[in-house]
Amino acid sequence: MIQSLLIANRGEIAVRVARTAREMGLEPIGVYAAADADAYHVAQMDRVVCLGEGPPMETYLSIPRLLEAARQVGVHAVHPGYGFLSENADFARAVIEAGFVWIGPPPEAIDEMGDKVRARRRMREAGVPVVPGSDELAQSEEALANIAKQIGFPVLVKAAAGGGGKGMSRVDRVEELPAALAEGRRVARAAFGSDRVYLERLFERPRHVEFQVFGDRSGNVVHLFERECSVQRRHQKIVEETPCLALDAPLREAMGRAAVQAARAVGYVGAGTVEFLLDEQRRFYFLEMNTRLQVEHPITEETLGLDLVRAQIEVADGAILPEAWLSGKLYPRGHAIELRLYAEDPVAFLPRTGRLLAWEEPSGPGVRVDAGVERGSSIGLDYDALLAKLVVSAADRAAAIARARRGLAEWIVLGVETNAPLLDSVLASEEFASGNYSTDLVSHVSLPEISETPDAVWIAAALELASGGSARGSPASRAPEPWDEASGWRPGT
Amino acid sequence: MRIVCAEKSLDVHLDGETAVLGDRRLTFRARRANGEIVAIEMEGHVIPLRAVREGNTVAIWCRSRTFDARPASALSARPRETGSLVSPMPGRVRRVEVAAGDRVERGQVVVILEAMKMEHAILSPREGVVGTIAFKEGDLVDAGVELVEIE
Repeated sequence: MIQSLLIANRGEIAVRVARTAREMGLEPIGVYAAADADAYHVAQMDRVVCLGEGPPMETYLSIPRLLEAARQVGVHAVHPGYGFLSENADFARAVIEAGFVWIGPPPEAIDEMGDKVRARRRMREAGVPVVPGSDELAQSEEALANIAKQIGFPVLVKAAAGGGGKGMSRVDRVEELPAALAEGRRVARAAFGSDRVYLERLFERPRHVEFQVFGDRSGNVVHLFERECSVQRRHQKIVEETPCLALDAPLREAMGRAAVQAARAVGYVGAGTVEFLLDEQRRFYFLEMNTRLQVEHPITEETLGLDLVRAQIEVADGAILPEAWLSGKLYPRGHAIELRLYAEDPVAFLPRTGRLLAWEEPSGPGVRVDAGVERGSSIGLDYDALLAKLVVSAADRAAAIARARRGLAEWIVLGVETNAPLLDSVLASEEFASGNYSTDLVSHVSLPEISETPDAVWIAAALELASGGSARGSPASRAPEPWDEASGWRPGT
Repeated sequence: MRIVCAEKSLDVHLDGETAVLGDRRLTFRARRANGEIVAIEMEGHVIPLRAVREGNTVAIWCRSRTFDARPASALSARPRETGSLVSPMPGRVRRVEVAAGDRVERGQVVVILEAMKMEHAILSPREGVVGTIAFKEGDLVDAGVELVEIE
C-alpha cells in the first residue's frame, strides 16, 4: 500500500497532486530548490525536502538528489508531475530500482514514445496513421531533401528527441532546407542532447486533438475522450476544450480506437495522452504520445467527474481500471474549457518577471483554479511561466465560454503582466465561438483597443500617492520595465 | 497633484469624496477592506479596483486591465538612454555577433539573448564602433545590465 508520495515537481502541478494525495489519506511530500524555498507549492505539502543549491539541472532535474530526498523521508511512491523528469525513462528506472513505486508508465514505454522517429515507426507498424515524413534512416541532407520533395512542401523540421515545439522550423522551398536542418540540429543538440532531426509534412490549418488514454497492469487500455488543443502560441497550448466540435461520433470512435492501439503497442500503463493532427478533410494522424499527466488533464476530469491523479496512484498500486471505464459506460457531461495564465506579455509572448503584488483567483459555480502562485510570489525565469490554470465547466459550450470570460474578469493580478487579455480576446473572437478554428487562431485574434484610463484609476492613484504608501509593497523590489528599450526583437527558432 | 498614467498626465485633486480630474468635478466613495481599496463607487456604479503602491509607483487593477501611475515629478528619475546596449530581460547570452572595434550599423544584430525557450536579437540602436563587450557566450545576465558599448 502506498502511504506517502514524493512529488518531484513544483508549481501548480505539485499542488494539484498534493491535493489528491491528501484526499486519499497519503502524505504529500514536496521538494524544492534552495532558491525556491518561498515558492507556493512548498507550503502546500505535509513535509518537504530541500534539493540543495543550484539551477534546475542540479535540483528538480537531478535524479541523484531526488532519489536521496525520497530515501531521506522514506516515501513509498514518486509522482513526477509533468515537465522536468516526468518523461525521463532513466528517472523512472532509478525510482523503480530504488524500491519506490513509480507513478507513471513503464520506462520502456517512455523510451518507445520519447524518440519521436522511433515512435512514428512503431505507430505505423501498429496500424496508427502518422503524418507523412521521414524515418530514422534518413539523416543526410540529400536523403531528407528527397523525402521533402516526395511529401511536398511546406515541411517541418523537428527534433527526434524533442517536444514542446522547440527546435521546429518551417521550410517552404528545397533551397531553404540545408539552413533549416543545420539550425534544427543546433537547437536539438543544445536542448535535447541529440541532433537527430526528421521531417513532417506541414499542414496549413490543422487542429490538434488529443485523446486521454489509461492503462492498467492487467493489460487493459481505454480512452477517456478527447481534448481540443488547437489554440496555441509559439506551438504551445493556451486554451483547451472538450468535447472537440470537429469530431462526430464515428470520427471520435475511430480516433479513440487509434489512441488505444497506440498505447497498447508500447504496453502502456497509467495516464497518457495521444496527440493527433486533424487536417481540413478531417483525416487524423498520430503526432506524438505524452507519457505523463497532461497540463490540460482537468477538463477531462470536469466533464467525466473523475480524478486522473487518483486513478494514476491506484493503477500504480496495482488496481485494475474501474468497471465503468472498462465497460465503456463513461459519458462526458457538458463542456469544459481550460485557460493557461502565463506570466508573459499578450502581444509578443515574451516572459515577464516580478512579484505578484495582488493575486485573487476567480471562484463561483463551475470554476476551478489550479494555481502555483499566491500574492507575494516571485516570478523569475528559471521555471515555466505558467502561473495558474482556470478550468470552467458548464452545461454547454456557450455557457462555458461565458463562464470562462466571467472567471477571467474576476481574476485580479498585479505586479506581473499576464496573457489574460489575449485569453479573453480568444474567447471573445467569432472564430473561437464558431468552433471552426485551427492552430493559427491566435494569429487572427486582435487585442482590444486601449481605451481611456478610467476615472476610478486616476482617483485610486491619487488616493494611494497621497496616503504615503501601502503596507503590501516593499520599495525597490519591483522588476524593471525594460521592454520599451530601443532594441529589436524577433521570435526565436 | 499631476499624475502620469498610460502615457497621459492629468491634474488630480481630491477633497474628501470630491475629485477634480482636470476640469471635471466628480463625487466618489472609496470602498476599503482591511484598509485596502477594493472598489470605487461613482454615480451609483461600483468599480472593483485594487491599488498597490511601491515607492513612487502605484500599480492598479481595474476591470481586467492594469495600470501604472506615478506623480509627474517622478518622471525625471527615469533613466536616460545611454550609449550602451542594455539587456532587456534576464537571460543567457547565446551569441555575441560583434567584436570590440567592429563598426556597426543601426539595426545590426549585436547579441543573441536566450530566455524562456526564445532567442532574442539585440540590435544596435545607432551607428558606431563597438567598445567594451561585458559578456561572453554562455554568460547569464540580469535585466538592465550593459551588454555592449557602442561608441
